[in-house]
Amino acid sequence: MMTRKSKLITTIAVGLVLAAGVAGIAVAQSGGLVSAALADGAVGEQADGYLGIKGGASEGLRAEVDAINIKRRAAYTQLATQKGATVKEVAAAIGCQTLTSRVGEGRAYQLLDGIWRVKGAGPIALPAYCNS
Amino acid sequence: MKPLLLTNERSGAISGAMKPATLPILSASLAVLAGCVTVKAPDKPIEINLNVNIRQEVIYTLKQDANALITDNPELFPK
Repeated sequence: MMTRKSKLITTIAVGLVLAAGVAGIAVAQSGGLVSAALADGAVGEQADGYLGIKGGASEGLRAEVDAINIKRRAAYTQLATQKGATVKEVAAAIGCQTLTSRVGEGRAYQLLDGIWRVKGAGPIALPAYCNS
Repeated sequence: MKPLLLTNERSGAISGAMKPATLPILSASLAVLAGCVTVKAPDKPIEINLNVNIRQEVIYTLKQDANALITDNPELFPK
């Protein structure tokens, strides 16, 4: 037997799952340009925790990168409030991780100096606050 | 001749008594001046060092959460 309250909760839960599913499909459909640009070195991870575009980019690619960065910022904000840190600190901590383990050889990345580099065989020279 | 001798002895007596008193005062005021100059110097570097230390600690504590966020949201971190 379901009370009115639990019915309402179930409805909301189903709605959320559907919304998440639709959003997931939208990201999956639009993520192609970014993946290709990452492989080309036209887009890369930045030490500040966000994706960046190296040089000029098509409007579609720019829109995809912006969309990902807006979602990243939302996720960083959530974690920051949970942990009592600033959004910038969470983003910097993410940047340490992406530069350590998610930038493959030959891919582009950007450090705090704003210069784009291509990853070689060795590890990336991380900002000092990453090493601890 | 007599008055000249008298004044000479007097002035000698006065300056003899003043010298030991003025020397410590002079050196004391010099020391105070030197103290003032050194107090003013260190101000900025201390604050910068503090900020860097706090930041590094926070980022260290966020390390695991950051990794979890990346693996939990693969759509936000395309490879």
